[in-house]
Amino acid sequence: MRKKRWVPWVLVGPALVVVFATTVYPLLAALYYSFHKYDLRKIPQFAVQLASQPGDPLISIDWSLLSLRNYTLAFSDSRFINSLNVTFWFTLFSVALSVIIGLFIAVVVQKNGRLQSLTKVLLIFPFAVSPALKGYSWRYMLNDQYGIYDLLAVELVIKPINVIIELLNNLPLIDITPINETVVWLADQFWALFMLAMSETWGWAPLIALMFVGALGSIDEQIFEAARIDGANRLQIFWRVTLPLLRPVILIVTMLKTIFSLKMFDQVVTMTGGGPVRATQTINYYIHQVGFVRNLDIGYASALSYILVVILTVFAALYVSKVLNRD
Amino acid sequence: MAVNVTAEGSRSSTSDSIRQGIGQLLETLALLLIIVFIMLPIYWLAMTSFKPAEKTYTTDIIFTPTLKNYEIIFSDGTVLVNEGTERERGEVGRDMIPSVVNSVLVSCATVLIAIPLATIAAYAFSRYHFFGNRAMLLWILTTQFIPAIVVAIPFFTLFRSVQVFGEPLLGTRWGLIIVNMSIVLPYAIWMIKGFVDALPGEIEEAAYVDGANDFQVLLFVSLPLIRPGILVASVFAFIMSWNEFLFALIIGREMRTMQVALMTTSAMRGVMWEQMSAAGMVVMVPIFFLAMFIRKNVVDGLTMGAVK
Repeated sequence: MRKKRWVPWVLVGPALVVVFATTVYPLLAALYYSFHKYDLRKIPQFAVQLASQPGDPLISIDWSLLSLRNYTLAFSDSRFINSLNVTFWFTLFSVALSVIIGLFIAVVVQKNGRLQSLTKVLLIFPFAVSPALKGYSWRYMLNDQYGIYDLLAVELVIKPINVIIELLNNLPLIDITPINETVVWLADQFWALFMLAMSETWGWAPLIALMFVGALGSIDEQIFEAARIDGANRLQIFWRVTLPLLRPVILIVTMLKTIFSLKMFDQVVTMTGGGPVRATQTINYYIHQVGFVRNLDIGYASALSYILVVILTVFAALYVSKVLNRD
Repeated sequence: MAVNVTAEGSRSSTSDSIRQGIGQLLETLALLLIIVFIMLPIYWLAMTSFKPAEKTYTTDIIFTPTLKNYEIIFSDGTVLVNEGTERERGEVGRDMIPSVVNSVLVSCATVLIAIPLATIAAYAFSRYHFFGNRAMLLWILTTQFIPAIVVAIPFFTLFRSVQVFGEPLLGTRWGLIIVNMSIVLPYAIWMIKGFVDALPGEIEEAAYVDGANDFQVLLFVSLPLIRPGILVASVFAFIMSWNEFLFALIIGREMRTMQVALMTTSAMRGVMWEQMSAAGMVVMVPIFFLAMFIRKNVVDGLTMGAVK
């Protein structure tokens, strides 16, 4: 072997420098800020005009001594606690819906057939729609007066249910309140969060389905054939054969999606703006508010984002160990 | 006896075929439901972009298609939605073209810088054993879990202070390109490494035997063979930086990319949906073609090869 020892270092060097500069540097700098008082409002010319002012040298910033103030503040900040709560529910909804719908799509699409292969091609489409655009289009379609989703939900779901409720109400001793047909989806605290998760699900379920289709394709067809010969029906095959075989992939996909969901930001800005009230303010959105919109408190924003980093590290460690153990 | 068996057999086969028919029907219904679920938002956006303004605030699907919305967003702001109602004009017209230019320049520059760096690094990670090889790869894998906001905060403060040609980097395309590296480069390295890994090493061995040095092997033997992989990674990197939103908002600021320019479709009466849809089509359609092109590799790219 003629390979020289210094060659790989020359090849990986430039990329490593860039990766370290754009990931390790900000991680260390943010950690440093998070232990300091660093509030842009305290720098007069900056508070007046944020963007166009030439920056002042770092030295002139009033670095008080190392302090835990930002972290202690976080845990008594009801808005931050709220954002933790919102992120938890958003993650739960979006991960569960994406994985379950993704699994459903994969199982339906997997068979051979014309419509199946057409649908398989369509699965890539939501990937092409940027998250910001996704948020806008869903907001338009959910409008209570001219939104197509609103129309479909009211005509196809709520009204039929109300017809049944009315029929039931004719019976003695039954009195059910009909569902409100004029729900304004994004003005309702629960529905806004749920629909945010749905928009995320729309983007991810097809991709997750593609991941499952790939995994299903690598399973030996004879296993399914054997189950069919043994007299198992579709549901039994799904529960007893498909699901156990897919388990490792489901686990990895779930963790990956959880990590992406915890970082939710784009659609919150374009779809709900964090509202109504603070019902859709995810952690990432609240940090952005603290650091760049409302408070301009870089130290506090850094501390909050470090709390997010710690949460993500737990999942990332789990994920990496799972991925490594597979090979 | 024989008759009996036949009768029983035929009865069970009719009920079987009925059950199969129902199964087929349910399957077709499920497929149609999936197609509607996936395509409705895209179809609705495309349709709205051709709607006349007065039809935007209805769910009508029958209307006379118009290109007016595209005309409005690409104009300098002088084309009015309705004659004499200038206030109802969104601001998109003012910076649609600059933001298209910004998006194209930033995404192209990100790809042109990230891909060569990623290619040679991926090659070395795949083909050489050196100290820390695996640890560094693992670090690169974990960088995708760093929330973008953590990258944005320090670079925001840094770019305020760092001046290039007397201008702070904040709110410039270069600033945006630099922070984009943090998300694009790790994915590109892993993606291209996958392609190098899949390449049998014998051809390279033969080149070494023939007296080629390391760089000649890389340049004249391996690179041509992984060219398709490099192309796929480039398209993937382009889509990532094109669709990127948080950095564009915080670091790009007034140097708007298309994603941020979508927000300028708001006017006095709220978001101008027909203009937003037209702008959305401009954002979306090029990416459709690119996504179709790398259809088979998106899953590997997104998961850095974890799901195979």
